Amino acid sequence: MKKRSIALLLAVALLFTMVLSACGGESNSSSQGSSSEAGTSSAAGNESSSEAGGESSAESSEAGTGNKAAAGITTEVGTPREDTLIVECQSSTDCAGQFNTYMTGTGTGFGIHQLMSAHLWEMQTAKGHQYGEVVESAESNDDFTEWTIKVRQGIKWSDGEDLNADDVVFTFNMIKENDNIGANSYTNMYIDKVEKVDDYTVKFTMTEPFPRLDQCFGITVWGCDWRIVPEHIYSTVGDVTQFKDEQPVVAGPYTVDQYDPLGSWILYKLRDDWQQSTLGVVGAAEFGYTADQVPPKYVWFRYLGDSTTKQMAMVNNEVDVLCEMTLEELQAMTEMNDKIGAWMNEFPYANADDPGAKGIVFNCGLGAPYDNADFRWGICLALDIDALSENIFSGAGRAAPIPLLNNTNVMQELYTIPMTEWLENFELDLGDGTKFKPYDTGYAERMAQKLGYEGTEEEKINTFGAGWWKHDEEAATKLLNKAGLEKVDGKWQYEGKPFTFEMSYIADSEFQVGRGVQAAFNQLQAFGFDCTITSKSSSTWSVDDTNGNYQIAGYWPSGGNYLKDIYRPFTGFDNTLIQPVGQNSQGGYGGRWNNQRVTDILHEMANLSPEKDEDKCYELATEMLQEFVKDMPVINFLSGTKFVPTNSTYWQGYPCADDPYDGPWWWWSCFKYMLPKFTAVEG
Amino acid sequence: MKFKTFFLQRVLAWALTIWIGVTFIFFIPRMFPSSPVESMIAQMTSRMGNLQPEQVQALQKQLSIQFGLEGSLWEQYVSFLWNGLLHFDFGPSLMSYPEPVGNIIGTYLPYTLFLSLFSTLVAWLLGNFIGLLAGFRKNARSSKILEGIAICIYPIPYFLVALVLQILFCFVWRVFPLQANIKLSADFATWFGSLVWASILPAISLLLLGTGWWIISMKSLAGTTAEEDFVMFARYRGLSEATIGRSYVLRNSILTQITALAMSLGGVFGGSIMTEIIFGYPGVGTLIQNAILQADYNMILGTITISIVAISTATLIVDLVYPFIDPRIRYS
Repeated sequence: MKKRSIALLLAVALLFTMVLSACGGESNSSSQGSSSEAGTSSAAGNESSSEAGGESSAESSEAGTGNKAAAGITTEVGTPREDTLIVECQSSTDCAGQFNTYMTGTGTGFGIHQLMSAHLWEMQTAKGHQYGEVVESAESNDDFTEWTIKVRQGIKWSDGEDLNADDVVFTFNMIKENDNIGANSYTNMYIDKVEKVDDYTVKFTMTEPFPRLDQCFGITVWGCDWRIVPEHIYSTVGDVTQFKDEQPVVAGPYTVDQYDPLGSWILYKLRDDWQQSTLGVVGAAEFGYTADQVPPKYVWFRYLGDSTTKQMAMVNNEVDVLCEMTLEELQAMTEMNDKIGAWMNEFPYANADDPGAKGIVFNCGLGAPYDNADFRWGICLALDIDALSENIFSGAGRAAPIPLLNNTNVMQELYTIPMTEWLENFELDLGDGTKFKPYDTGYAERMAQKLGYEGTEEEKINTFGAGWWKHDEEAATKLLNKAGLEKVDGKWQYEGKPFTFEMSYIADSEFQVGRGVQAAFNQLQAFGFDCTITSKSSSTWSVDDTNGNYQIAGYWPSGGNYLKDIYRPFTGFDNTLIQPVGQNSQGGYGGRWNNQRVTDILHEMANLSPEKDEDKCYELATEMLQEFVKDMPVINFLSGTKFVPTNSTYWQGYPCADDPYDGPWWWWSCFKYMLPKFTAVEG
Repeated sequence: MKFKTFFLQRVLAWALTIWIGVTFIFFIPRMFPSSPVESMIAQMTSRMGNLQPEQVQALQKQLSIQFGLEGSLWEQYVSFLWNGLLHFDFGPSLMSYPEPVGNIIGTYLPYTLFLSLFSTLVAWLLGNFIGLLAGFRKNARSSKILEGIAICIYPIPYFLVALVLQILFCFVWRVFPLQANIKLSADFATWFGSLVWASILPAISLLLLGTGWWIISMKSLAGTTAEEDFVMFARYRGLSEATIGRSYVLRNSILTQITALAMSLGGVFGGSIMTEIIFGYPGVGTLIQNAILQADYNMILGTITISIVAISTATLIVDLVYPFIDPRIRYS
């Protein structure tokens, strides 16, 4: 009996081993020709394995040219790997097959706006330059109440029709007339009429002087809600908000080839006539792309689930670009596969130009002491940026001293560095007859020394920032005393009572700000604040933010941009928008910070042209930033620091510190303009 | 007459259970600190810039109407009872507006059912069979080993098993894909093959732990039954061990397990959230998770109402069938 049991057990084990060998063996054999370093050899050709199985081998022999690293490998969706760029999408969709971005649930970031949509204006983030995509040129009358735009000629829809003024006019009128479209309210607020002048000319009549048509109705950061639709298709649809557009006709360079009806991936295919797409026409005009710079034939956007799965997929070369990981995750991946990199190939790895400086926001709507600049400055000087930065990403990231200003490379060059003299001379009145100059330009040098970073002065400032605020507990104590707080037995009190506050952060995203708040919480507790810390989901935060249901929160309160004209990201700090706590307030991003001078500046800038009145706009913008510093409504820690992994086993040419032709923003609409730079790695 | 009373009592309990359950699930999301309308406005303003207060109010009203959140809480509740509970029309998903919740659940539910039903039934059969043997012959060495294995496996969190399976079979040995890719657009054979392939690891992770539980519970039941007087009497009658095990121990021990199975079957509608997330397996569990995170009231109502109805109905069926299985109840 025993012998029989053992024999049975052995037989099962043998069978199991055979099954494993059968399934796994083939994949290893197809790994030839791929990168063999860092344990990736067995991983390399494996996409043709398992369930891709039978169908893949025939296709791969046909597809393989033998001179590409990915030759002979077929993806799970049946395309040759050497022709397929695989891009991570951050979420799956419940609306598979829905490509109309004017329907509410459409997953615009699932490759739709990156590859198919056409916008009036697009953004080049590395240079801080906005350029016309559908728009060839735009002119306004003297008081900016009328805009006449010329539509680029030569762009064709994927069904061969020309993109022209009819499409632009139809799109805007469709939005204006349909209050189920999200952009309807904003569009009607500023645009009175949109009319066709001729086949390639459109006239916008505004409801008020409106000098920033390009910034407000074009892209400055991620994307925008005005995507031009084909009039010859959408005009035949009864209700455009109920039209799924399952086989979209597009002006972008890719069309939908296949998609997962369960919503986990979409495969896009390069149009045969892609040179008549936005990328072909605008890419040649704006980037000088030539006909031989052909983008990947397929781009496969896939949702990869949790962070562990993403890491495993990239180490196994099953994805070429991921959206964002932590420093530790990136380092773990690079140790297992040396073809994986990021913006920089060594520490600090990250791109620090994401337009969202992370820090803490005070809810000024709660009254004293939160609405007191001395209190906020006291908190700021009690914080130690060196320790904060080390806690966030081990010192990686560029310090962002000016509140609300996203200290991207462009913004630092345009504003932070030119303001150095003012910042160095800026003084705080400590309330005891003494003054204190808080600006500290030594941060970059200190961090470089601590981390062993070698580089020129300019490189250090670019990497770690031009400066931040001094850590000075004595000055902080005096300012807090001035604000009415008192330290009794090592604990802060306000108006004779123990002073407590809650610090919150978003739990389900935003590693950077979460870690920053946790570190700040520890520092403030050590400084004698009896504070607590809590985490919230994004959806909870969106309500708490606008309703003012927080005391001090970690967030990225300034939706920045890359343009010299910084009016638009700060329009929310107009004090006329502020509502009482408990009501939805768009003002001050929910922080309800009320500064009359900032409001006056914003009103003045609103009527100035960023082009014609460039100097005046810059002067006012600088003054506004000075007001930010004086009042310290939020404390920025570091500029948006993103670890965006790329895998160069099969594809190369990603933007990076050595070739910064754009930022690594695969989830933004500008992604399409990077693709001609991506080339398949030779075997 | 007796059965009629029994039947009516059970049906009344069933209806009451469902009503209480769905009432809770209607009101609880509305007490969340989040709001789908505010989330939507936040998304819009992050792209378009800030809106004037009157525009925000207009947008709030417009979205509330779109999402079916207008009217008093009472009106919404009555509307939900009529449309949702009686007609299974939960309205549109707020985050995938205007796609009806029913359509989305209808897309994902079969996958959850396939995975959960299969793993639950197999685990039940396997676990009870092994548990019976172990309990019936509890002094045998093999019984002790089996019980030891079950006790070791059962407390391990199922998602940990899932993670280990994923690392070994998807990452290291690369036998299975990291994320499920079910070929819905392909022909039936390819689709079914891809479904089975995608389900193997998630099913194993659920099966291992499920089996452990059934082994432990059945061993305990069978062990107790095996010591009953009627079993001893059967032995004195000279009946074979197989007959005693099958007709005396199994039949008397299985009743509790049937009730537990019914409860488990009702629970499969909820899916196994972590298993689905780890393996990228499409299912209702993921829908519930996303709905809660995004304050999608209608989706929460839809998925959990179905779960409540399923569990209650399963319990009702067991209650009604029980007298036919267990003579003691029938004649009591």
